[in-house]
Amino acid sequence: MAEPRAVEAAVRAKLWDGPTRLVHWGLVVLIAFSWWSAETGRLTWHRWSGYAVVGLVVFRIIWGFVGSGSARFSRFVRGPAAVAAYFRTLPNRSPTDVPGHNPLGALSVLAILALLAVQVVTGLFAVDLDGFEGGPLSDRVDFDTGRRFAAWHELSFTGIQVLVALHVAAVIFYLVYKRNNLIGPMISGRRSFARDPGLTFAPAWLALLVAVLAGAFAWWVSKGLRF
Amino acid sequence: MGLGSVRSGMAAAVVIGLAVAAGGAIAQSGAGAKAVAARQSNFKQLGQANKALSDELKKGSPDKGVVTANAQKVATLTAQIPTWFPKGSGPEAGVKTAAKPEVWGDAAGFSAAANRSSGEAAKLRQVALGGDFDAIRAQARATGAACKGCHDKYRVPEKR
Repeated sequence: MAEPRAVEAAVRAKLWDGPTRLVHWGLVVLIAFSWWSAETGRLTWHRWSGYAVVGLVVFRIIWGFVGSGSARFSRFVRGPAAVAAYFRTLPNRSPTDVPGHNPLGALSVLAILALLAVQVVTGLFAVDLDGFEGGPLSDRVDFDTGRRFAAWHELSFTGIQVLVALHVAAVIFYLVYKRNNLIGPMISGRRSFARDPGLTFAPAWLALLVAVLAGAFAWWVSKGLRF
Repeated sequence: MGLGSVRSGMAAAVVIGLAVAAGGAIAQSGAGAKAVAARQSNFKQLGQANKALSDELKKGSPDKGVVTANAQKVATLTAQIPTWFPKGSGPEAGVKTAAKPEVWGDAAGFSAAANRSSGEAAKLRQVALGGDFDAIRAQARATGAACKGCHDKYRVPEKR
């Protein structure tokens, strides 16, 4: 792991590729929209929003294996020892120079993706109180099972709210305490490093190919896994 | 609404008063609770029939037998709804119920809303017999909207 170090003679370099940023902000919008559409009973829009989340999550998972360096799980997911070591550097007020997700943030990425997967899967099978509305796979389960899925859907959303709050708190902590702006790079894709981190980026055609695959999968799911 | 809750509150007080006077407080509150349980089980059956119907209608070529059977079930159950709300089966029954006091406080409004639902459900049964699935889908939506109209006014929203 790179030693956390002060950013002095800064080099501005690309950190996050377009697809990763698009997935990030897309999820921000869709999680908010899904929440609102569920609360106000707009279930048709809620389902569409859910299919879009399916597409983004599937894309991000595939991108975590074949995408750009900073997006790959193998580059940022670390063992407990690395997480503990990073955790001990948190009180240190200087900005860290880890190019991308730090070992602790990696856990947040995994937890959010996992819970989003739980969220969409439970939504697919969920049935409303009156049997009027349901996810596209709710016809594969009986009423009681569908209601149970709806309860889990509710519960896992509470989990997502907790993770989002934690994520935002961490970003504010980095901004205020460590004077490390993580928001800017997630918008522009670029940040300053002490030295060029030498990251590699996947080509646009690969992103397009993965997007088509993820989109096709989401469409198939929306059709209840029927052609 | 204020008057309604005062009236239902008074009704509850009278019911409890009578019950205590008769020395049958437990039997009385038990009747309300029983009615709530029966109502919930009936509405659950209605939900099951709704789901079975909409599941079938989602298919490209629905089974007419399944559609008519469930449309029949929805119509029969919906027509019974007014009988599922005997006096004393509101919040005063002492068990958890989503029925608002307005069901009894605004009895005329509730009755009208319930009748709108059963009217649409009866039409659904008719249309189902015709076997035109697009027409059935449209009438199922109209029925759902009528049901929702009643729920929005007389049912406590699900806790989110």
